[in-house]
Parts: sequence; C-alpha cells; structure tokens
Amino acid sequence: MKKIYWILFGLITLGTLILQYFGPEHPYPHAWDHIPLFYAAYGFIGCILIIIVSKALGKRLLQKPEDYYERRS
Amino acid sequence: MNGVPEFPLALPLILLALILPFIPRLARGVLTVLVPLILLGVLLQIEPGTRITTSLAGFDLIIFQVGKVNFVFGVIFLLISSIASLYAFHIRDVSQQCAAVLYAAAAIGLTFSGDFLTLLIFWEVMALASAWLVLARRRPASNEAGFRYIMVHFFGGSVLFGGIMILYAQTGSLELTALSPDHGLAAWLILVGVAVNVALPPLHAWLPDAYPQATVTGAIFMSALTTKSAVYVLMTLFPGWPILIYGGVFMALYGVVYAVLANDIRQILAYHIISQVGYMVTGVGIGTALSLNGTAAHAYSHILYKALLFMGAGAVIQATGKSKLTELGGLAPKMRVVLVLFMIGAFSISGFPLFNGFISKSIIVSSAGKAHIEWAYLLLMLASVGTFLHTGLKIPVFTFWGEQRDLKVRKLPWNMYAAMGVVAFLCFFYGVVPGALYKMLPFEMKYQPYTAYHLIESVQLLIFTFIGFWVLRGKLAGEPYIALDTDWIYRRGSSLALRFLVEPINAGFAFGARCRSAIVSACSRSFHNPLEWFRLRSGSGPLFNPDLERPSLGALIGTVVAMVVVLGIVALAF
Repeated sequence: MKKIYWILFGLITLGTLILQYFGPEHPYPHAWDHIPLFYAAYGFIGCILIIIVSKALGKRLLQKPEDYYERRS
Repeated sequence: MNGVPEFPLALPLILLALILPFIPRLARGVLTVLVPLILLGVLLQIEPGTRITTSLAGFDLIIFQVGKVNFVFGVIFLLISSIASLYAFHIRDVSQQCAAVLYAAAAIGLTFSGDFLTLLIFWEVMALASAWLVLARRRPASNEAGFRYIMVHFFGGSVLFGGIMILYAQTGSLELTALSPDHGLAAWLILVGVAVNVALPPLHAWLPDAYPQATVTGAIFMSALTTKSAVYVLMTLFPGWPILIYGGVFMALYGVVYAVLANDIRQILAYHIISQVGYMVTGVGIGTALSLNGTAAHAYSHILYKALLFMGAGAVIQATGKSKLTELGGLAPKMRVVLVLFMIGAFSISGFPLFNGFISKSIIVSSAGKAHIEWAYLLLMLASVGTFLHTGLKIPVFTFWGEQRDLKVRKLPWNMYAAMGVVAFLCFFYGVVPGALYKMLPFEMKYQPYTAYHLIESVQLLIFTFIGFWVLRGKLAGEPYIALDTDWIYRRGSSLALRFLVEPINAGFAFGARCRSAIVSACSRSFHNPLEWFRLRSGSGPLFNPDLERPSLGALIGTVVAMVVVLGIVALAF
C-alpha cells in the first residue's frame, strides 16, 4: 500500500485525538472516554483477537474437509 | 377512508403469484417490480390504527392492522421486494418468480397480521415459498440444503403453534400483544419458534446452510425477509426481555467468529446477517424507546445494505460461476462497477460515516451505553470490528484483488446493475439524510448520529481495524474447508439417529417377519394332510389326494344317521 495512505490515516487519527480532548463532552460518559486513542487500540486489538481466536477455534475444533458430510462415518 | 384499502396488502401479491404463470415474460418482470411499489404507495396513505377484522371457524381474526411498529417494516419489505424483483427481472424461471412474490406476500401478511392465527398461517407460507428459492437452483447440494431448511422451519413453526395453542387456552384471545415471562411455557415456546426465524444460535444453522445454496436472485429476497420479519415479531411480543440482550450480543459475535472461517462469499455474508440481527435482538432486549427505534431503524438499513452485498456477491457468482474465496481473485479490473457498488454496501454495513449503517447501528449501541449496559456496548463495538474486517476487507480483497486466477467473466444483464444502483443510492441517501428514516420510527426520540464522539469512535475503530487486517492479512485468505456448526447435530446426528432409533426398530420388524413366516411354513407343513395324523394316509404323495383319500358316500350317510340317533337319545334323556 502506498505511503500516502498511511500518512492520511495518521493525520485522521491525530484529528480524532484532538477532537477527543477539545470537542464537546459526551452526554453519558463511560469510564474509558478519557483514555487517549481508546477506540483505536480497541479496534486494533479486537481485530487481531478475532482473527487469532477464530482461527484457533477453527483449527482445533471446527474446520473439516469440504466433503465431510458426504463421507459416511 | 382517504385511500385506506378494504383489503389486506398481502392479497394483491398473492393474486399476482397466482396469475404469473399465465402471462408473458416481459409482463411478469414488469408486474413483479411495479405491484410492490404501488402497494408501498398505498401503505404510505394508510392511517396508523387501521384494521380489518373477520372471523373464521369461531375465531375472531385481525387479518390486517397497521401500527407504528409494523409500518416501518412494511415499507422496507415492499421496497426491497420491488428492487429484488428488478434484480431478478431477467430470469425465465416462472416458478422462482411465483415463489418470490408469494414469499413477499407472506412477509407482508405476517407483518400486518393482528392475531396469532393469521401470523402462523403466513409464517408457514413464508417457510414454504422461500424454500423453493433454494430448491430452484436444482443442484444436489441445494436440494439437500433446501430440504433441511424446510424441516428446520417446520420444526420452528410447530413449536410456535404449540405455544400459541397453550396461550389461547390460557387467555382465550388470539390478539398479538406483548408477552411477559408470567405467561410461562406458552411464551417460551413462542420465543423458541420465533428464535428459529431470527436465527438465534443454536437455532440458526439453517441460515448459513441454505443462503449460499439459494439462487442468485432468490438470495436477495431471503436476506431481506425471513429474519427481519421475525425481528418485527420479536419486537412486538418480547420487548424488554433481558435474555434477549445476552442472546443478541452472543449472536453478534457468533456470526463474526464463523465469518473468519467461512470460504463461500455468500456464507460469509450469511454469518454477518446473524451478527447484524444480533444488534437488533439486543435492541429488543434493552427495550427502551431508543433501543426499539434502533432495532427498527437497523432492520431498515440492514435490509438495504445486505441486499446490496448479496446482489454484489450474486453478480460475481453469475459472472464467474464461482462462489468460494479460494476460487476467486483478481476481478477488480473486470468488474469495476460491481466492485464500487459492493464497497458501498460494505461501507454501509461497517458503519462508515455518510452511509446508512452509521445512522442506525449507532442507535442500538448508544442505547446500550445510555442504559449503562457497558459490556454489551463494548462487545457490540467488537462485533463492528469483525463486520468491517470480513465484509469490508476480507471479501473484497480476496475476490477483487488477491491471487490472479484468469477467471472468465460473463456479461451481466442491465437490470442487475440498475437494482444495485438503486440500493446503493438508498444506502448513501439515508446515511446523509437520516431524518428520512428517523421520521418513520415508531417511538419519540431525540437522537443525532453525527456527533463528535460518535465520529471519533467510528473513525478510530475503522482505521485501526484496517491496520490490524493489514498486519494479519495473510491469515485471512479463504481456506478450502467447511466449519462445523450446529447443523452437525442433524446432519451427522441423522446417521446416529438412523443407527440407534431406526435400525433397531427395523431389526425388530424384520425379526417379526421371520417369526411369522416360520409359523406359517410350520403350519402349512403340518396341515397339508390331517389324515396323516391318524396314519390313515393311503395316497402316494405327501399332499391330500381327494381321488384316493376322500371317504365313500356310504360312510358319510352312516355318520349322519349315527349323529341323528345320538342327538335323539340325548334330547329324550333330558
């Protein structure tokens, strides 16, 4: 992927960070609202976790060859 | 009166399904697009509170009733039926067109039914009509999936019926009203019956089993009607049941996990239906005006973007004949228009600002935050991450870019592009003008989707999901495997049931049949000549031979005379 996209992502994230501190208050705030870049971290870690946990479940338990149901046990 | 129809809105659609086989192909295409659109115009004229009642076999039925909740569902069902018919404009298979129209009629009928009996009838019609959209693909795999689909839905329908009968015995009324846990078994049976159609795990396996096997055009109707009409019923009967918060959040994450493992593009989308319907179920469970509005709004948005995604996937399947990520790749230069339209659906489902997922999903998530159910709030956010990861990244990246596979791409009919264009426009329109959707919602609410903190949340979440995907993209490519789901119970369980339930009984019957023939042959051996018992046999063969062994006439007369004498003596003696 081109460098320009990464720079763009960085700038947008910086913008949201500024908005988080200088923007309007949340009407019903949560405990985590004042952690900087909370949702960014949550998105990144969540994404990695979803992939790893699902793949592990698949490998250990759920994934079978495509003709699994056609073969007689 | 003012434009209020004297007929239920489902009726014209049922009649249309009946006359379709007798009219020319072009007229069929035009009518299937226009009739739902005209009915939508009629619906917009109807005052809330209108009802049509009748009685059948002593039951008072409300066969048509327009309220604030079912209005918004009715609007989107009619709208999507028309657009899905446009997408299917080119097909020649009359049976599919009839089934699709009947399916839409049943969805409309049950959405506007005011009593349980009408609801149940349309519920079953819907199961049958939609099953044909799977069977009509006429492949061995789709036949099997279609029959499993019917069996599961008939099971759900039977449980629902059982619940309704118990409820009627308890209350003496068939009118649709919200149930409470005090209704006991009846309410729980009805909940299970509805949960089958909502695709609440573990009762969900019919959905990712059947939808990838449906016809390209039939899948659009299926993605829109079955689960969302059940969401409407859930919203009417079970608002504020806390168990639905747990169920809904579980659904939202369950779909995400399985979407990682799925390889068929329509199966990934199918698992994300479960995930998205999970948000709606959570909204029903929270049960506040805001969350119920969120459920209705999200159903509306979801039907649009999910139809667009299924149309895009259908276009890929129609053009290439392939549906698995492991067989697709490098289509971007060959299918640019489809790619752009699919991405609009993907941005919408992922909740990008300016698209309709942003303005509806957020209502439910905010309602969880406002009700201070923090765990639900965070887990629904996590499900959002998964949604963007699969629908927004995994499918398009591995279908349109990824490995070059030299796929031949067939030309698509104009109407498929037209339908996708209309839905894509609507996804964008409601994203930019949320008021157009909010004004149809059933309850009063003050909600503004475009706020600073909502934008912060969404933008950070989406950008860093993308980065996470980019880091691990090698792991996400499709794999030529299937992932076992709860349909294992009846697909593999069927051979166990055969072994333990059917085969012993068959063996019992076979043993009975062997005993019977043994007895019969023993009897026929013993009785073939009773004279033999007294060693009086004078014939030459083993069987009784009348010519040789019949007694003489004299012996017969002698016996008769002797009997008369004996009987005479007995009579005189007493």
